[in-house]
Amino acid sequence: MKTFFTSSIVRFLARRLLYSLVVLLGVLIVAFSLVHLVPGDPVRIALGTRYSPDAYQTLRAASGLDRPIVEQFLGYIGSALTGDLGVSFRNGDPVTLTLLDRLPATLSLAVVGIVIALLISVPAGIWAALREGRISDAVVRISSQFGVSIPDFWMGLLLIALFASTLGWLPTSGYQALSDNPAGWLRHVILPGLTVGLVAGAIMTRYIRSALLDVASMGYVRTARSKGLPPWVVTLRHIVRNALIPVLTITGIQLATILGGVIVVEVVFAWPGIGRLVYTAVAARDYPLIQGAVLLIAVLFLLVNLVVDVLYAVVDPRIRLS
Amino acid sequence: MRRPKVLVGIGLVIAITLTACSTGERVDLGNESSHNLIAAIAGEPDQLDPHKTSAYFSFEVLENVYDTLVEPDENLEMRPALAESWEVSGDQLTWTFHVRQGVTFHDGSPFSADDVVYSYKRIIDQKLSNADRFRAVTDVTAPDKSTVKITVAQPTPNLLSNIGGFKGMAIVQRKNVESGEIATHPIGTGPFAFRSAKSGDSITLAANKNYWGGPPLISGVTFRFIPEASTALSALQAGEIDWTDSIPTQRVEELKTDDSINLGVTPSNDYWYLALNEARKPWNDVRVRRAIAFGIDRHAIVQATSYGTATANQLAIPKGSPWYTEYHGYTLDIAKAKSLLHEAGVKDLTIDMTATSQYPETVTAAQIIADNLAALDITVKIRSMDFAAWLDGENAGNFDMLMMGWLGNIDPDDFYYAQQHTGGKSNAQKYSNPDVDGLLDAARAETNRDARAGLYARAATIVADEASYIYLYNPSVIQAWSKSLAGYQARPDRAIRFRTAALN
Repeated sequence: MKTFFTSSIVRFLARRLLYSLVVLLGVLIVAFSLVHLVPGDPVRIALGTRYSPDAYQTLRAASGLDRPIVEQFLGYIGSALTGDLGVSFRNGDPVTLTLLDRLPATLSLAVVGIVIALLISVPAGIWAALREGRISDAVVRISSQFGVSIPDFWMGLLLIALFASTLGWLPTSGYQALSDNPAGWLRHVILPGLTVGLVAGAIMTRYIRSALLDVASMGYVRTARSKGLPPWVVTLRHIVRNALIPVLTITGIQLATILGGVIVVEVVFAWPGIGRLVYTAVAARDYPLIQGAVLLIAVLFLLVNLVVDVLYAVVDPRIRLS
Repeated sequence: MRRPKVLVGIGLVIAITLTACSTGERVDLGNESSHNLIAAIAGEPDQLDPHKTSAYFSFEVLENVYDTLVEPDENLEMRPALAESWEVSGDQLTWTFHVRQGVTFHDGSPFSADDVVYSYKRIIDQKLSNADRFRAVTDVTAPDKSTVKITVAQPTPNLLSNIGGFKGMAIVQRKNVESGEIATHPIGTGPFAFRSAKSGDSITLAANKNYWGGPPLISGVTFRFIPEASTALSALQAGEIDWTDSIPTQRVEELKTDDSINLGVTPSNDYWYLALNEARKPWNDVRVRRAIAFGIDRHAIVQATSYGTATANQLAIPKGSPWYTEYHGYTLDIAKAKSLLHEAGVKDLTIDMTATSQYPETVTAAQIIADNLAALDITVKIRSMDFAAWLDGENAGNFDMLMMGWLGNIDPDDFYYAQQHTGGKSNAQKYSNPDVDGLLDAARAETNRDARAGLYARAATIVADEASYIYLYNPSVIQAWSKSLAGYQARPDRAIRFRTAALN
């Protein structure tokens, strides 16, 4: 039994990993093509008003765009695999370092946001599902509808007005590294984390509620209840456990979305995340930086998916076999 | 039901941690910079090489790091900076600058006339974007460590504003350039030295105790990047920052009565204009262009784009400047506009107008203009795009009409030559009038100030009469700072100088 378990989960993981690699290769091709698919000469466009024939030749050579396309592609793949994503068209900084600089802020916001979302949505979703049709269910449903509908920049500005301007409890904006100053990190991450978390939490609450209701209507739940099991045992062991799969899925999707950059929240809170970096890169037509960011975001997406897949297998043994 | 207890526990920990921190505390950036002035700017500099960047965010920082040979005072008159004094030869063709002695770069190395020559030659030889400012210059030499000689091909009365008008003409250090570090770690002679940068977050400068103008009164300046104006204003009101120029214009009226902050609303030397593409029909017909100029409601545009903080102007140079010319050629006059169009024999016109989200005023104004011109049976098709695409369209001549602004002008030549001279570097509308060319060329070499002002007044009047540019307004410089910040003033050229600032 033990060997069967081990081999099946390993096979499952190997399959998933292989699948991720295929997707990654696809992303590499798309990222590489980006420069060649845009209309016009990317080097000319990137230089804009700074254009001069010398600058043009220098940048073109530095970015390797003067070489044959196959050589460029192989070179790109080779460097990307060794972590070299080229240099920014805008200021010549190495793209990999620029992205790594921004990664901690993005990870902080994503982790705090998703934790807040879970803290809100798990209890609220369970509560609403258990009290389906009652007033408390209506309250949860209406407030989550609010959470889904309020634009995040508006939510951010409201939180700043309340917690920073009026109460003076938290700073309005900015970021501090966790390693430099843990207390400062926490104080700065709460408001943007809350903005992200409230929106994601509202979506997840609705999801969890309906997932639980689906499971609760299953025959085995009725059987468990009729066996005379206490209600909390039925809820935890039979309903919540089986509802975990859709909950994991939506949590993974929300986490990956936040990792991909929550530009509006980053702008409102002057948060130095990847979203704002991509935004400026697009505005400046900084193709190496856009390519690198696309690649990084794709890798983060794949990682999250991989973790979610592993958790599926842990939570539900049936999945390993399928 | 144990889980909820765990949740309550986590909530308590967070609450306790939060209340343990004192309220309203400023961002702690390490010991030496904790008494810094904190300034919020709206975006991150693309790079810090003053000769290569064109971003205003970069110059907000670099204004405090670098010096120029001469520099504009608060009335934009050129004053000594790294040059203590200068003379012009009798034939006006040789300028001799005596540079300040005992000045050092931030790394302690001495500054001399050779650095001036190196900096200027770098701009000229590498054809950097400011090379145009040396157009008349034939040679730059340093006969000794304390003298710089600039020779020019013709009398050049605006040489001082060309070499000192902004920090794009900064004196840089050769070693700093050659190591390539200038883009990320600039070394200058200015009142503050570059200390550190956090990507996407902030740049920190430390006071230069050896500054030739006297050591600054503050320990340093931290420029934080806060793109959202509402957030920057909240941060100022909460005391987290001391200064910002990121202010929502719609809140200026309300802030004027806010006693907790200082608000600076100063007329600027920037101007915004409309231009019609004269390489295309029928915009090459002066009557059609004049019809448009009579058809737009300039005051409505000012109100909508700036909430009344800008000043309508039918020429480029603002009232208050010594070079200002009175001109009121146009009023909103639909009948006159219609008769001009009739005279030109055109009807049912469609205008392809480009606007860019980078400058939201262009999008706002375009909508008003579309509405205004509907009264003339002109359909305005607005194309809103990102700035890079907009610039491409401008360079390629792919537009009927555009709205844009010119910033950082000091000398009248800055306002008119590149934009209105035939084949001028910024003459995207392809305007060409030999009379204007002659006046602008003559004004460039005219050393008598009154005569020079007269030449520009004549050129500007023709340009406006022929609607090469339809001038709209001069915006204001809008900045706000805390009551504890003293010794600072908002300047018409948008240079942000903290060298005399003090924090009480």
